[in-house]
Amino acid sequence: MNPNLLAVPIALPLFTAALLLAVSRWGGRQLIDLQRGLTAIALLVNLGVALALANYTLSGHRLVLQMGGWQAPFGITLVADGLTSILLTMAAIIFLAVLPFAIGTIDFHRERMGYYPLTLFLLMGINGAFLAGDLFNLYVFFEVMLMASFVLLTVGGQPAQTHSGIRYVVLNLIASLVFLAAAGIAYGTLGTLNMAHMAERLQTAAPAVKTLLAGLLFVSFGSKAGLFPLFFWLPSSYHTPPPAVMALFGGLLTKVGVYTLFRSFTLFFPDLLVAWQPLILGVAGATMLIGVLGAMSQPTVRRVLSFHIISQVGYMIMGLGVAVDGQNLAMGFGLAAAILYMIHHIIVKSTLILAGGAIQIEMGSDELARIGGLVSKRPLLAILFFLAAIALAGIPPFSGFVSKLSLLQITMDSGHWLVAGISVVVSLLTLNSMTALWRETFWGEYEHPGRLTPWLLDAPLRRWLVLGPIAGLLVLSLGLGLFGERFFQMTNTAAQQALDQAGYIAAVRPVEPESVAGPADYPAESPTDKGGHDE
Amino acid sequence: MPELYLRMLDRILTPVLLILTFFLLLRGHNLPGGGFIAGLMAAAAFQLQILSRGEEVVRKQVGQYIQPGIGIGLLVAVGAGIAGVLGSTGFFKGIWFDISLGPLGYLEIGTPVIFDFGVFAVVVSVVTSYLLGLNRVAEGVDA
Repeated sequence: MNPNLLAVPIALPLFTAALLLAVSRWGGRQLIDLQRGLTAIALLVNLGVALALANYTLSGHRLVLQMGGWQAPFGITLVADGLTSILLTMAAIIFLAVLPFAIGTIDFHRERMGYYPLTLFLLMGINGAFLAGDLFNLYVFFEVMLMASFVLLTVGGQPAQTHSGIRYVVLNLIASLVFLAAAGIAYGTLGTLNMAHMAERLQTAAPAVKTLLAGLLFVSFGSKAGLFPLFFWLPSSYHTPPPAVMALFGGLLTKVGVYTLFRSFTLFFPDLLVAWQPLILGVAGATMLIGVLGAMSQPTVRRVLSFHIISQVGYMIMGLGVAVDGQNLAMGFGLAAAILYMIHHIIVKSTLILAGGAIQIEMGSDELARIGGLVSKRPLLAILFFLAAIALAGIPPFSGFVSKLSLLQITMDSGHWLVAGISVVVSLLTLNSMTALWRETFWGEYEHPGRLTPWLLDAPLRRWLVLGPIAGLLVLSLGLGLFGERFFQMTNTAAQQALDQAGYIAAVRPVEPESVAGPADYPAESPTDKGGHDE
Repeated sequence: MPELYLRMLDRILTPVLLILTFFLLLRGHNLPGGGFIAGLMAAAAFQLQILSRGEEVVRKQVGQYIQPGIGIGLLVAVGAGIAGVLGSTGFFKGIWFDISLGPLGYLEIGTPVIFDFGVFAVVVSVVTSYLLGLNRVAEGVDA
């Protein structure tokens, strides 16, 4: 397979966004229809490429692109394995599903201010973070993502938006700063930023270096992923942008943090997965519990949903914690279950946020105390929201069941009864919280605080633009639940690939620099070659 | 708030800055310089215009080109990367041509130079739009 294909998920959104920027104000006219069309084409092609990559990598291959023909570790490396291409596919699906919803609900002002180019830049950042083969480019793509999401958060200029946007960007910049410090330390101690090269040199590095790097990366990626106790930026900002934007954020942004945690711990610190297991599992349990307890105390639909994101990130980290553990089950079962959970979560969480957004637009508010009885006006929306809610809680036949079951299997198999118990309790609390949400919104007396009567789903075209994506994503979730076995085999391939450190290094094949030696080869006490790497 | 001194000065300084910009842009592949620095310097020329002639005049002249400028610059930059693929080598692989200039020697031009032009267009557009926005805020406070 042509490795240049790896550039497409980054270059295509960038190219399309540039094209949209270049033509969007041509001759003073707003070419909104053209923007929508081009975005749709770009997202379709992106999905096609992601599926092709998934098809190739999930049969056990890796694909590596050395940009400009420069060998690693000198050039920019892009790497795709099963984990990467699964997540690329999920991002492509979510962006494609949110597009019709955005066309139906985003206001003209935001479209004029560049909603479509901004989402494409966001997609570029997300795809780039999944593909990056070196730490510095990972940082760059994190920043691309952060900037695009910051603008998407604040476009519109409501005071609440600006307020939450500033909190979002400041707290994320602090996490980025920690990441940058980690990258600096990695370069100073290992003499390289290429991830395969780092993995190679970390095998012989001093334990202190390993601990420091792992700690810094855990803090910064954990903050991006929304782990306890660094999650507080998430619920304070996610509920302010329009639902179409929040669905992209809630579905994908924290999962980039989770992906980088998976990648860095399996590639750089496979031994710390054992040594730090109590820490990882402890953080996972606390995240699950705090997230769901927070969700139960929130007054609006979208705040409840943002807290559930945190709670569910905890499940994924629990899977990471038992990635190489287990007595009867094969090694990597935990990671495979966590990846399956991630797929489920990305689909279902975006569905719920879209449905919650539709409620908010219909009612003019999403405060639980002030709304109710929508089921009489919008039965279809009520059914879809209910199905998504039970999918999230893990009721069969939806995807939540298989993914939670496999996670529970591996935690019990490896004998971590406490965290397994917490995850079951949290599941019950999630179910309770979701049914309460549904009851408050759809059941009871019809209460409608907005000034307008529900209007969003009246026009037939807009009704399908809004409900179509929700229904489509639910079908995906159902498929994932019904064919769980088959999907689990896929994620198992991806997990085995992710845990195969030697295979990753061999695929990237970093060459040893001849004149410039890193300290992994030449310890600092060599008198002739003091600090050889920073000449 | 046009300033008299600056209006005299900018007639000399703006062309000098723009020529220097071009010099930095072309020199940048192997020596300090390049699209980013050249873009910043060209934006400095715009800032000089803003200071001497006021934000509104400059906005009227260049404001409509800013967003297309960002887009076209990005297109050129990505296009330079895609050219590497079309040359059947690889994404962002540099392709170089030597153009003979007779007695003057050779002009080396290639896709990295084109990439720099793209970066230049993006940087100058983005920074100028920042400067216009900041100056509008500053002038609003003065008024």
